[in-house]
Amino acid sequence: MVDLVLCGRGGQGIIFLTRQIGEIVSARGMAVISSETHGMAVRGGSINSHVRIGPFYSPLIRQEHAGFLLSLDPAETPNNRHFLKPGGLVIENSPLDEEPGIRRVDATRLARELGRVQSENVVLLGFASTVDGFPVTSDELERHLAEESRKPVREMNLRALEAGIRAAG
Amino acid sequence: MTHHHSPDVRFLMGNEAIGRGIIEAGCSVAAAYPGTPSSEVLESLVRWKRELDHPIYLEWSVNEKVAFEVAYGASLAGVRSVAAMKMVGLNVASDPLMSAAYLGVRAGLVVVVADDPGPHSSQTEQDSRFFAWFAKVPVLDPSTPAEAREMALRAFDLSEKYQVPVILRPCLRVCHARQNVNLGAPQEPVHAGPFKKNWQRWAAIPRFRLVLHGELNEKLARMRQEEPEARPVTVSRGSGKSLALITSGSVSSHVRDVIASDERLAGISVFKVDLPFPADTQALQEIVDFHDKTLFIEETYPVLELQVDDRRKAVGRISGHVPPQGELTPELVEDIILGVAGESPQTRAEAAIKPRRPSLCPGCPHRPAFFMIKSIFDKAVYTGDIGCYTLGINMGAVDTCLCMGASIGMACGLSHAPLGETDARVVATIGDSTFYHAGVPALINAVHTKAPVVLVIMDNSTTAMTGGQPTPGHSVLADGSPGVKVDLERLVRGCGVDFLETVDPYDHDAMKEALLAARRYAYEDKVGVAVVVTRRPCVRSAQAVPSSDRFEIGDECDRCMTCLRDLECPAIHFVKERKIMEIDADLCAGCGFCAKICPTAAIHLKGA
Repeated sequence: MVDLVLCGRGGQGIIFLTRQIGEIVSARGMAVISSETHGMAVRGGSINSHVRIGPFYSPLIRQEHAGFLLSLDPAETPNNRHFLKPGGLVIENSPLDEEPGIRRVDATRLARELGRVQSENVVLLGFASTVDGFPVTSDELERHLAEESRKPVREMNLRALEAGIRAAG
Repeated sequence: MTHHHSPDVRFLMGNEAIGRGIIEAGCSVAAAYPGTPSSEVLESLVRWKRELDHPIYLEWSVNEKVAFEVAYGASLAGVRSVAAMKMVGLNVASDPLMSAAYLGVRAGLVVVVADDPGPHSSQTEQDSRFFAWFAKVPVLDPSTPAEAREMALRAFDLSEKYQVPVILRPCLRVCHARQNVNLGAPQEPVHAGPFKKNWQRWAAIPRFRLVLHGELNEKLARMRQEEPEARPVTVSRGSGKSLALITSGSVSSHVRDVIASDERLAGISVFKVDLPFPADTQALQEIVDFHDKTLFIEETYPVLELQVDDRRKAVGRISGHVPPQGELTPELVEDIILGVAGESPQTRAEAAIKPRRPSLCPGCPHRPAFFMIKSIFDKAVYTGDIGCYTLGINMGAVDTCLCMGASIGMACGLSHAPLGETDARVVATIGDSTFYHAGVPALINAVHTKAPVVLVIMDNSTTAMTGGQPTPGHSVLADGSPGVKVDLERLVRGCGVDFLETVDPYDHDAMKEALLAARRYAYEDKVGVAVVVTRRPCVRSAQAVPSSDRFEIGDECDRCMTCLRDLECPAIHFVKERKIMEIDADLCAGCGFCAKICPTAAIHLKGA
């Protein structure tokens, strides 16, 4: 059982990440349920998604229950930190140094270097996939993103994923 | 909806699962008007139709009333049909729904109505289960995406068995949840035979309506007794008889997870009702009578609670144990249950949440339109409407927001009942989709009554807020097949409008000229309604041509904050440490409007 919260600003591609994780876990034959933000908040407002892997009915994670908080925007991390359980890990898109309980990668910069800043979400997911206990592996993500039929999208995503994995060292 | 290794299981959004259930049920006609959290029902039907090469007819109707009537007509023609909308859309469709409950249906008619407890993206927290009760139609209340698919199938059978429209009411936490969902094979489209004339039924006069009302009451009484979904189902068997919970729909999922995760609550029995109206009230009463105490947890009105006659041993919303407004989050559900069970509450750290407010996108054509409206109509009352452009409140350019189309009707009222000033001015703003939906009758009203108002129709040629669905102004239909474009200007002229100007909102000078002319027409010459159409595709739509232009702020900047405060562009921010204004090149869309309105001409095209 893993509870995972993803957060950021509307437009950063949180729902895309939610779908990738859910589709991979679902294809393994495991139970997964998630919840996401739509509507007006998507116009640049604060948004988050919840992903729950295990025998759950509710798509929402209670406060202090999540194992991971994946944050595309450091300004949104404090708005969602209360979901993390003691010992839970923040994985954050940020140029700052890592500290206990927070893994960081400058996904925005890496995505910009690849020529498409909007791919920061996939860079962060690639980085997260190298973390112990993260619900999907780098190999699974690579195979899943390779199923995309539009070639430019597929190639961009695979390069962004690779950049995130490499940044983890 | 990407393909997977296992062909029968997909990770689907609740609305996609409902769409799947509709296709599997052999439905032939689906009509909808977009609205969060319901929009993906018809969007997913477009994809299911394509994937399965299914013959279903799909349309984005002009509004929910018409969507319901289209579905109703199809049902009379003998095919299964669906109308999908959000709960405030049901208000618009309530007239035909109330009447259709009496007349009944032929082939199954299902109305998918998405509720939004919170509310997250809506004007109200109304409970469509209560609306179903009011209309005297049955309502199914799914708790998960997988269950929503099953209930969509079940709803058609129920509708045909009793010859009534059936409401399927998913809440936001079902609509926008995703889950691994088992798919079934689509059944052949149902056909109940061609329409047979029978005016006593399909055009019933009041005398026959009385008979039909009696028949409807009999149908409901039968459903209460005979349908398995009307009976409470035990989803968690407790060891004691001291406390029972009765719940329904998406909140039942929070209830089940809370009970399963806390050993202290193992004595509690949980009952779930899938058909909360008309529920088996006798079975509910037996639960209440058997237990020392019964807690009703439902969203958002006490529909099950109210159907129980003797509530002396019941607690819930009516008793004040469940708050009378707001979404029932899992934390709240946990607190309520622990409180009623007499257990010590869960301690949680105070969450310090400072949510970022949503804004019009960088490059959004509504932003320059609002900026110019504010600069030309300085002290006017700005009646707004429902859409992305409600975010004009951030710019001080929207003073009211009531419901779809109300910007124009309210502008009439404000202008006919002067604001206590001789120069009272009203400027109404409305988007293209909302104008087609509910603005047209209000505009006819404004023209006819010579209401001195300026109406700005902000035409971004899409229903942007809900994800970019087509409008009647498009020449393609929901599934991409050709339709007839209803020309906006011809429509406005057809309403009797004489003053009509169309401008590009990025064109500062043309905007200024058109708005000044409108001001003279409506407020100085007092001829009547002046309409300005500001036309440019939504910056997120495929029609928008991206610009590679980027701008920078030079030393001429005196930090007057016009761009930050009045234009409110998310790409522009103030760097506190260096006390300068900066444009974020990642966010900037290159519209260049800030450069046109900067009072000190400090904003320049990069590399120029």
